[in-house]
Amino acid sequence: MNGSKEANGIECGGDAAKHFGFASGYRNLNHGSFGTYPKEIRSLVHHYQEEAEARPDPWIRYEYPRLLDESRAAVAKYINAPPSTIVLIPNATTGLNTVLHNLVYQPGDAIIYFATIYGACEKTVDYICETTPATSHKIDFTYPISDSTLLSLFETAIYHLKSSGKNPKLAIFDTIVSLPGVRMPFEQLTALCKQHSLLSCIDGAHGVGHIPLDLSKLDPDFFFSNAHKWLYTPRACAVFYVPERNQHLIRSTLPTSHGFIPAPVEGKVVDNPLPPSGKSDFVTNFQFVGTMDNSPYLCVAAALEWRSRVTWKGKRGEEAIEAYILPLARESGRIVASALETEVMENAEGTLGKCNFSNVRLPLSYAEVAGSDRGKAVKIAQWIAKVLVEEYDTFIAIIFYAEAWWVRLSAQVYLTSQDFEWAAGVLKEVCVRVGKGEWER
Amino acid sequence: MNGSKEANGIECGGDAAKHFGFASGYRNLNHGSFGTYPKEIRSLVHHYQEEAEARPDPWIRYEYPRLLDESRAAVAKYINAPPSTIVLIPNATTGLNTVLHNLVYQPGDVIIYFATIYGACEKTVDYICETTPASSHKIDFTYPISDSTLLSLFETAIHTLKSSGKTPKLAIFDTIVSLPGVRMPFEQLTALCKQHAILSCIDGAHGVGHISLDLTKLDPDFFFSNAHKWLYTPRACAVFYVPERNQHLIRSTLPTSHGFISAPVEGRVVDNPLPPSGKSDFVTNFQFVGTMDNSPYLCVAAALEWRSRVMWKGQRGEEAIEAYLLPLAREAGRVVSSALETEIMENAEGTLGKCNFSNVRLPLSYAEVAGSDRGKAVRIAQWIAKVLVEEYDTFIAIIFYAEAWWVRLSAQVYLTSQDFEWAAGVLKEVCVRVGKGEWER
Repeated sequence: MNGSKEANGIECGGDAAKHFGFASGYRNLNHGSFGTYPKEIRSLVHHYQEEAEARPDPWIRYEYPRLLDESRAAVAKYINAPPSTIVLIPNATTGLNTVLHNLVYQPGDAIIYFATIYGACEKTVDYICETTPATSHKIDFTYPISDSTLLSLFETAIYHLKSSGKNPKLAIFDTIVSLPGVRMPFEQLTALCKQHSLLSCIDGAHGVGHIPLDLSKLDPDFFFSNAHKWLYTPRACAVFYVPERNQHLIRSTLPTSHGFIPAPVEGKVVDNPLPPSGKSDFVTNFQFVGTMDNSPYLCVAAALEWRSRVTWKGKRGEEAIEAYILPLARESGRIVASALETEVMENAEGTLGKCNFSNVRLPLSYAEVAGSDRGKAVKIAQWIAKVLVEEYDTFIAIIFYAEAWWVRLSAQVYLTSQDFEWAAGVLKEVCVRVGKGEWER
Repeated sequence: MNGSKEANGIECGGDAAKHFGFASGYRNLNHGSFGTYPKEIRSLVHHYQEEAEARPDPWIRYEYPRLLDESRAAVAKYINAPPSTIVLIPNATTGLNTVLHNLVYQPGDVIIYFATIYGACEKTVDYICETTPASSHKIDFTYPISDSTLLSLFETAIHTLKSSGKTPKLAIFDTIVSLPGVRMPFEQLTALCKQHAILSCIDGAHGVGHISLDLTKLDPDFFFSNAHKWLYTPRACAVFYVPERNQHLIRSTLPTSHGFISAPVEGRVVDNPLPPSGKSDFVTNFQFVGTMDNSPYLCVAAALEWRSRVMWKGQRGEEAIEAYLLPLAREAGRVVSSALETEIMENAEGTLGKCNFSNVRLPLSYAEVAGSDRGKAVRIAQWIAKVLVEEYDTFIAIIFYAEAWWVRLSAQVYLTSQDFEWAAGVLKEVCVRVGKGEWER
């Protein structure tokens, strides 16, 4: 008798897989990039879209804000933040852009970030530094390193900037790096920011639903996280947390819209054509940011409810999800590294892998297959990704990093170790083809 | 025999109404704010969303860009612009923000705009003027005025600014104003901008699918238009046109994302993790702007195809739509103003109403019902809007303008003059209730 198959329970593995809309035969080994969500939540999104077309104005002007507040409250509770600090935005990229655009920079202000910053975020920093007095300071390093080394590099950077007359204003760091997919010591980094009077800006793209978060305890200056990655909401839906002490710093949404309150000008009257909301300026500002279909924002409670029904070895809900995915991620790395006879990216203390990713090096020599040419190395990575899609009906995230190719495996409730055994075989085959020069033809 | 009911043809009026998803009994008299789209296009959006979950990475990285290009080409053809000048963005607010954020302002640079600018756009101008060296110049006037007067006001503003040592850099104006809903002489304004070496930034929110547009002939410096308003695509989908001569001015999307090309820095390598596109930098930049569900972008061809099947009095497609809507809009104004014994907002030459809107004044005295208090007047407008939703199952856009309340009626293929006769009766009743002070309780 299967004791864990309670009424409504969703057992991790094959049972959970039935809840998702993957094409038959497609193996989604890259949940980390774009996430996905259960089919029953698609029905909910469709319901909201139908409601929107049934009565567009009433829905958008009156109903949606009410449901939005329910979603905000649900997320706030889930990550232990006051609802007044939580708004929803499309994605983490928008979160980072919102923070960086709103801050006012004086000459000498420096934005600190790490070499592993998400690409679009680095480009945003570049754009800000081109168009404002801010400069940036990139902390270069190569994984694997220990947390203490990384923290030490951070403090060194701060000291270095201060002693050269610069003002480190803001530090950007991740909960979990995108590529390679490794956990950062973000709690300690946040504490160091406080200690040295820097604003902490946490890119938690891989955060909510991936690792437990307590925003009240963490107390960063800015935090954003994609709910459509690991929380099982549809795209696009992300959480943006700004503690009340900092809300005056975030004057405008991106784009600027009706909720913006201009600096007062004598005699000038500008109305907000939307109904009065009775909420704080910060919350009202993010309530309407240009016409969008924000139905995904309204799916937070449903996503949390679905998660609460997940089971694994007698556990339920968040505990079950964590108890299944973390070991599966470790197992996936072991299986693939063993089959490829390479290694998992990890430091001595084993902190990088405390997440749902595992990064495994491919058995390819940079010098041999790419002639130590970085451009070629990138093309090889792109070729591998394409071949996996076109011939093996899967997607595996691949990065050229530290003069080697690494795959980032994403564990998920709809996968089993068998999927990673399969992946190991496929990767082995594809690497042989790379070695034969097939990527060049 | 009904000769116009060809196979597949959609006759304006009751027949067309069946194609939309309105709640039974709901009368959508405010198409202008949020638009809507035929039910068969919802099926298409759902199809795309299913494809996205069937194989998330392959869809987003490889399939979607291909289909996006098809949509761009369809829109480009429709408004006679080279495809290389056309990208898709979520909405007009994003378009205006993208232009204003990207421009680089020197002290003395001035942004000219009209008193009738869309609220969120004015707030964007305010934000830009607070955070950059730009200043703004608002051309105040009150409708109704003739086109020649408006054009003269524009030229006067330019001369005034120049003779006081300022540099008019950019002028923002609409194809059709939002509230009140009136047509602007945007072709002549564009020509004047060229003549005086000012960048023309046209907010064509009400543009594509509403009035015929020839971007090659019009040749503005920047143009954006919501496809989800009058073109019948789902929300959110807008066209952003930037002629090749200006594309170097638009360095970043909003938010900045992977396609941004940083100013070159010695020794620095930054990869775009997405597959190489083989397209111009401008087009590639707008191809991915943070994770979003951009399925609406892919519905342009389907929307155009649906429109091509619309019929009216033997005409088909775009001609049928225009032949039905323009007279219906005029009729709507006549019917309602006649019943209310007030007037339509129009100038002597009759140019304001050359669009699908009609603006009618409500029979309410500012002094009598609001004690000449603007705050009360705005509350009255909000009360009327709410009562129409809650008690009459309709939405009519209402604005307090020039010390009077005006309704903006939107003609549409799914409406008939009977809908506006009904609206007239409802508005009459509601105005009586306002006069009795019901809004204050």
